[in-house]
Amino acid sequence: MNALTFDAGFAPSRIRLVDIRHRQLLVAQLRMLLLGGGFALVAFAAILRIAWLGVVQPAPTEHSMAQALLPTRGEITDRNGVPLARAFPAYALWYNPQALGDGGPPLVKPAAEVAARLKEIFPDLDLAETTRLLAAGKPGYLRRRVLPEEVNRVNALGELALETPHETDRHYPQGKLGAHVLGYVAADGHGRVGMEAYLDQRLLDPAERGRPAMLSVDLRVQGALEDELASEMRAVNAVGAAGIVLDVDTGEVLALASLPAFDPNKIDAEGQKNMFNRVTNQVYELGSTFKPLTVAAAIDAGTVTDLSRRYPATPFPIGGFTISDLHSLGSTLNVPETLIHSSNVVTAHIVDELGAARLKRTMADLGLNERPYIELPARGFPIWASGDWPRLRAMTVGYGHGIAVTPLHLASAYAAMVNGGTWRPATLLKVQPGHEARGRRVFKSSTSARMNQLLRMIALYGTGRNANAPGFRVGGKTGSAEKPGAGGYRKSSLVSTFAAAFPMDRPRYVVIAMLDEPQGTIASSFQRTAAWNAAPLVGRLVPRIGPMLGVMPDDTRDIDLTDLRPLVGDKEGSE
Amino acid sequence: MTQHSRLRRMGWFAALALCTLCYVALHIKVHAVQSEVVRVERRIVQLEDEKLLLETEFETRASQEQLASWNRVEFGYAAPGAGQFVENERQLARFGAPRAPGAPAPIRVASLAGGEEAPPFPKFVSPLTGKPVDERLIDGDGGREELAAREAGGTMRIPLAAAVGTLGE
Repeated sequence: MNALTFDAGFAPSRIRLVDIRHRQLLVAQLRMLLLGGGFALVAFAAILRIAWLGVVQPAPTEHSMAQALLPTRGEITDRNGVPLARAFPAYALWYNPQALGDGGPPLVKPAAEVAARLKEIFPDLDLAETTRLLAAGKPGYLRRRVLPEEVNRVNALGELALETPHETDRHYPQGKLGAHVLGYVAADGHGRVGMEAYLDQRLLDPAERGRPAMLSVDLRVQGALEDELASEMRAVNAVGAAGIVLDVDTGEVLALASLPAFDPNKIDAEGQKNMFNRVTNQVYELGSTFKPLTVAAAIDAGTVTDLSRRYPATPFPIGGFTISDLHSLGSTLNVPETLIHSSNVVTAHIVDELGAARLKRTMADLGLNERPYIELPARGFPIWASGDWPRLRAMTVGYGHGIAVTPLHLASAYAAMVNGGTWRPATLLKVQPGHEARGRRVFKSSTSARMNQLLRMIALYGTGRNANAPGFRVGGKTGSAEKPGAGGYRKSSLVSTFAAAFPMDRPRYVVIAMLDEPQGTIASSFQRTAAWNAAPLVGRLVPRIGPMLGVMPDDTRDIDLTDLRPLVGDKEGSE
Repeated sequence: MTQHSRLRRMGWFAALALCTLCYVALHIKVHAVQSEVVRVERRIVQLEDEKLLLETEFETRASQEQLASWNRVEFGYAAPGAGQFVENERQLARFGAPRAPGAPAPIRVASLAGGEEAPPFPKFVSPLTGKPVDERLIDGDGGREELAAREAGGTMRIPLAAAVGTLGE
């Protein structure tokens, strides 16, 4: 109350002054508030922007280069990093009649003249066909593959209707080489036939396709194998040939060839016919190459303990069927002589003592009763008799008849026989040292060591002498089996195989070479058996691939044969 | 409003204008550099594509099949035989011949057999300072490792694609 009276006592000017001050204070406070509000707004906007940058907006465009350099489909290389298949940006020649957009004629110059100018750029162009396409006025490809300098020349023609769109091209620099291993990419962008099909997902995965997929194949070995197979195939007029080089310790396939091959760069009707893989898909009765496996099974089971024991070698009648040899090999033979001269009769006697069940178990342990282990999609199922094998069946299997397997089966089985007795699945992917499959033991190491001696003896004194490349300590077994046809076996068509390993003092690689229906020509001394075509092929191949694979020729070392040499006498072997 | 405060206000405006100007200049510069980077990147991509194309063309022209046919027709190289390899010292010594009578005496070179009393191997001395050089500098482990890695990699086009590939998506 007192204050009011006090206030009332002041002059009005004084009151106005207080009022002005009060108002000014309010204005100042309001401005402060506005300014603070403005700052807060800006800060809020900044925070919002940061949040938006962090959460909503996609990553900045700085990875454009990474994206541009990432291939549309991953590269496939061999074990040394040499590219076998790669995608690179290419051009196509596309005819777009609507390009001018004025409803008039699509081309500035007459169609025939444009076609003639195009033929100057692409000499292999079909002039009449191109003129027809240009005159028809329908959009379509004129050419699927155009090089950059050709694109420049096409653009210089000044025809807007000739467009050169960017397209990625799957290219196989080695052409037909390794076609069955690689396969091809179909128009839908997915792989077919070979590793292109198996690795399809990985090759298309954006996270992984930047790194090339490495195969176990060695390009130089593959080249040598296909070269030798092709020249031998021509020399003996065979309808086909197949070959494989396998690392015995890891199961890696260093080369795999099936001839005639197709060109993955250009798939046509003829290529489609040759897409069939003789190594992994076609089953054959591989004949005498099975004899070492049979002998190994018998040694392993303990039914053959004395290699000098002599078995009767005269024709062996059993169940209305007579097992005989191509020509008489004398009245008796011991085990090394059996393999050297490739005697069916003695092998049958050995199987008889071994028993059908044990032979069947060993063959199953070697994986001969199921599809071969490899990444390729086309894998043939063996012709394998189920149930208990009768005596005759076991005997014929013992020398490679009545059982049909792929050459890959045989390679894996031989690898198990020579590497100390461990069977491993074959693989086309590079195996890092120490990461090979564990495998399963089929033979004792002592059996394997004995078989190495016997295989070496076949190449030194027996049917495999033509494969004995000097210094490479090759060991192996020939096999020539008649192909089954209508009404029994056909005498005129053979499948000649040579199954080899080298170097026999410490086996590292198995080589299988197979010729389908070879003829007797002057190149094979008018013989059709494996000793005259497949064996010399291996004898030429091994010196070519050995040094590349780290096996140097050396005349001063070899597997010790002193205990077996006296058992074979001085007779020359023959098939 | 006093003279002083007006001056101050103009000063503020001038400072603001200067800052804005600086900002705009910087902004333009950043954009210029960025577009330069983009252009360089495009050029790199273009060159990489060209390299890929040339490399593939080289691989195609030098394919195994082609090399084999050239070898058959032109060169005739054959696989090396056992006689072309020397396995051990014993084989190497076989190439030596005993000294013929009357041949000049072989030239003798001073040498020191390593033993207890042999002095330590002299250290590498820098020609500039005259002091022994740090061992690590001589070894140059880093460089050697990098070189080894490049050799071991084996791929012919590591550099850019591989470096960029690790950046991720």
